[in-house]
Amino acid sequence: MATKTHEPVIGDGSLHIGDRVVYPNQGICRITGVETKQIAGQNWEVVTLSREEDGATVMVPKGKVMGIGLRKVADVAAIERVFDELAIPNTDPQLDWKVRHRENADRMSGGGLFGTVEVLKGLHALSRVRPLPQKERELYDNARHLLVGEIAAAMNIPLHVAEDNLDYALWPPPGMTRNGRPLPPATLGPPSPTRPAAEDDDLGLEDEELGGTAEAVAPAANETDVEEEQPAPPAAHKAAADKEKSKSPHRPPKPALAKKARPAAAKKTAPAKKAAARKSAPAAKKAIPKKPAGKAKAKGKR
Amino acid sequence: MIRIVTLSEFPPDVIDFVTRRLHAAYGMGCELEGEGEIPADALDDEQSAYDAVKVVDEMDDDVTLYADDKIVYLTNEPLTAPPGPMGRGPVDGYAQYGGGKALVTAHGLSDKGLPLEVGLAKRAAHYVGHLWDLHHCFDPRCAMHPGWSPGFAAYPEVALCLFDREKSERKIKLGSS
Repeated sequence: MATKTHEPVIGDGSLHIGDRVVYPNQGICRITGVETKQIAGQNWEVVTLSREEDGATVMVPKGKVMGIGLRKVADVAAIERVFDELAIPNTDPQLDWKVRHRENADRMSGGGLFGTVEVLKGLHALSRVRPLPQKERELYDNARHLLVGEIAAAMNIPLHVAEDNLDYALWPPPGMTRNGRPLPPATLGPPSPTRPAAEDDDLGLEDEELGGTAEAVAPAANETDVEEEQPAPPAAHKAAADKEKSKSPHRPPKPALAKKARPAAAKKTAPAKKAAARKSAPAAKKAIPKKPAGKAKAKGKR
Repeated sequence: MIRIVTLSEFPPDVIDFVTRRLHAAYGMGCELEGEGEIPADALDDEQSAYDAVKVVDEMDDDVTLYADDKIVYLTNEPLTAPPGPMGRGPVDGYAQYGGGKALVTAHGLSDKGLPLEVGLAKRAAHYVGHLWDLHHCFDPRCAMHPGWSPGFAAYPEVALCLFDREKSERKIKLGSS
């Protein structure tokens, strides 16, 4: 009777059970084995991984191991090269979002360690020019998370020390050097847009600390709502008017002109978000659900 | 709950300000737990600063940590950290990523041009963020922006950017469940 003594081949043969690997979507994992699982009536050979940060089990079909970009944790020499690369300032970020999106997606899935470095460096350089949109902000965070985990795993240092070192290269503090060459100290980048006031969480602290500023603001906000309510035409009329507008062959080509035709008070008090929504969505559909809600709000306040 | 343990003396109004700011930044309870002593053997080889990693690891306290409890130690002492690929840089604290304990120092805040309570609260918010797995942020207004960057003093408000705020809220919800 033959017993299995040989180790299963994982990926291109470079990965073994017990290896620490980087999984682009999950972080640092350890290969725990190869199992056969029955899924939807079919037998699948899967590689099981244990995610280091929380111990979660990740299963990858054996045939897809190389396709998802699974690779061994880099060695110390590679990490040193990463820091050499990070210490060279990137002053030319890719400004075309389509090109950037495609390149970054490719680099994250199949670019290996240096692909992740390029994504982080490119997005970091872009963030020095303008705040990143939400999707790219998430990508920036993912790239940073992967890189910090890999640096910490490769150099056997705490995650916090790894991240600080990463940023000593990206945002050099005064006097920081790399290979004996002084790095230019970090400068102030543009701040991201702040959270709109309406969404801000009120924890009741401002009242105590600012001497009731929040209370002073609240009535003004109520008044604005009421003012907005009065000059606006009834919902049905407005919907019909908007419908006619959209059918009319003489409809002004630019939304800005359509805006000018509105009553001045409504224009003055309407929040920017509402205006944007009206512009992008069909007017007739929007007006019907919105107006009754506004009326109820105003009545409640009175 | 975020629990504060002081390892040096701080005026009560400073601690009060820090607890309020942490509460506002993370939307969870924050209170002063008590006082502690910094482990003497955590001094670094040159005996000039405390090794932040050692201080957190060797801290002998009787604070009980529940599911989503975080402890923040506050000190006035200079800190250092193990050298990394870039050598040694400025160290104003240490946090166990995704863990329960963080250490923050007020040392060097006087050079930043910020009031003690504001600087300390901003640093504390930064390290508590690391406890919730938040990474450094490029937004100079965010508390997760690196402390050595010019943005630290340029924007004295103790607040997280939208992205980090939402991420920390998700983590806090998961932690409490």
